[in-house]
Amino acid sequence: MSNDTQAQTEHNLPVVQRIISVLWPSFLVASLATVLFFVVFDPQELGMLAGLPEVTRTGGYTIGFFFFWFMGALGCALTCYFRKPCPPRIRTDQAD
Amino acid sequence: MSTDKQPASANEAPVEQELYKKRQKIYPREVHGVFALLRNLAMLALLGLFYGLCWIQWNGHQAVLFDLPARKFYIFGWTFWPQDFFFLTLLLIISALALFFFTALAGRLWCGFACPQTVWTEIFLWFERKIEGSRQKQIKLDKAPMSARKFGIKASKHAVWLLFSLWTGFTFVGYFTPIKELWDSMLALTLGPWETFWILFYGFATYGNAGWMREQVCIYMCPYARFQSAMFDKNTLIISYDEKRGEPRGSRKRGTRPAEKGDCIDCGLCVQVCPTGIDIRDGLQYQCIGCAACIDICDDVMDKMGYEKGLVKYTTENALSGKHVRLLRPRVIFYSMLLLLLTAGLIYGIATRVPLEVNIIRDRNALFNTTNEGLVENVYTLKVINMDSEPRTFDVSVTGIEGMKLLGDTEAVRVETGAVKDVLVRVHADPVNLKSRSSEIEFHVESRENPDAKVEENGRFLGPVL
Repeated sequence: MSNDTQAQTEHNLPVVQRIISVLWPSFLVASLATVLFFVVFDPQELGMLAGLPEVTRTGGYTIGFFFFWFMGALGCALTCYFRKPCPPRIRTDQAD
Repeated sequence: MSTDKQPASANEAPVEQELYKKRQKIYPREVHGVFALLRNLAMLALLGLFYGLCWIQWNGHQAVLFDLPARKFYIFGWTFWPQDFFFLTLLLIISALALFFFTALAGRLWCGFACPQTVWTEIFLWFERKIEGSRQKQIKLDKAPMSARKFGIKASKHAVWLLFSLWTGFTFVGYFTPIKELWDSMLALTLGPWETFWILFYGFATYGNAGWMREQVCIYMCPYARFQSAMFDKNTLIISYDEKRGEPRGSRKRGTRPAEKGDCIDCGLCVQVCPTGIDIRDGLQYQCIGCAACIDICDDVMDKMGYEKGLVKYTTENALSGKHVRLLRPRVIFYSMLLLLLTAGLIYGIATRVPLEVNIIRDRNALFNTTNEGLVENVYTLKVINMDSEPRTFDVSVTGIEGMKLLGDTEAVRVETGAVKDVLVRVHADPVNLKSRSSEIEFHVESRENPDAKVEENGRFLGPVL
């Protein structure tokens, strides 16, 4: 019963909150990841290695940030997706 | 499958309706009083700092500039490098601890007075009031059908909001790219694509957060709002309604004090001024950002009724239940001790920071060479980074192996402030003095002008074993 009500409330989350729960945590984590990553790696050198010498540092930071954001959002979206309640198992032995 | 889907889609309709009910717009009423004054002062100070600081110059550069394209941070006289990341981490830990400390002591002081979300929402509300008028006028305008007048008012409000947001985005980018150059290139319409993008992105975020999202950011998005209650105890300052004194609430004639009623006249003004739309009389709620607007308005009402102030006030749970309030609790002492320790550490670290960094890179082509005289030669590139605020002249020397020699431009290496210089050096040693395949040697780099700028860096000297 309690499982039912939990599924119910999760389904009833306002759309705003559902969108936020994907985009917002990933944004926060992306900001942190961008700082930590680029303290160690210089985007210009990475651009050189990747064969994209025309990418400036500011451009590198921006691409990095949005890459981390996208990846984080993907993770959050999958979490949300797998949290959805599954259809109950059909028990053939009991049905007979 | 289809039977499972049925109830879900049947649920859909009421859910969507609930969504619209939940997103009721809040029209906070304007309020005057001690806390409103404090809030406005904090707002002016913080916004002034944000919009003003980036225009101040210091020793020929922007006083506060996080120069991302050059990978260095200027904060007044200091220049910080990616190597100084440790200080930033320390600073962030100190900020977090300070937040915990103030939360334990005085509740959500941060939310009500200093959080950017609150500060920008306040200024956006101010614009809204100047253009649309008071709370009643705003509600009336929103209910009215679209007309030329309504369109004009709404359009000018959004125009002002958008302009202010763009200015905010511009200022934000101005902390990462020198703002004067940014201003010039904006006037000349030669802004780079990334700068343009970030100005628009940050401007849009400001407009969305302060104009549209407002209290929803605090309720749905803010991690601090979710966990702040963990730092609360019974001695933490909270904003609370004095239920014993106020109940049973009810309206009455001005100047009277009916014996059967409490002091709350149920005027509902405390709800009208609340920026998150809650009723403080329902008790402590996590939606309360502690802005104290309800205290100001209720004190006003109490004054008009001839009752004593403080029906809604800053108090603690212990004070409300008539117990003794303790200011110094273990957690407060713990937070303050830790805070003092880390702050002292940070100041010490910055004060004794060596404004020089040397990285040693071995030549990748050969482990070692043998010269015509039979000496073993190793080649290194020393990356000398001058982190001082003045240009410096450095001398390089090496120790570690008997009779070793250093060749290259090792004397009077001039490095501009904030620059990196590659110094190519060759080290010669007699193979008879080598004790193993790999010996440890020590490079010394020393500034002529500043004795503090002195670094010893270890390197490996490779050679054959005789």
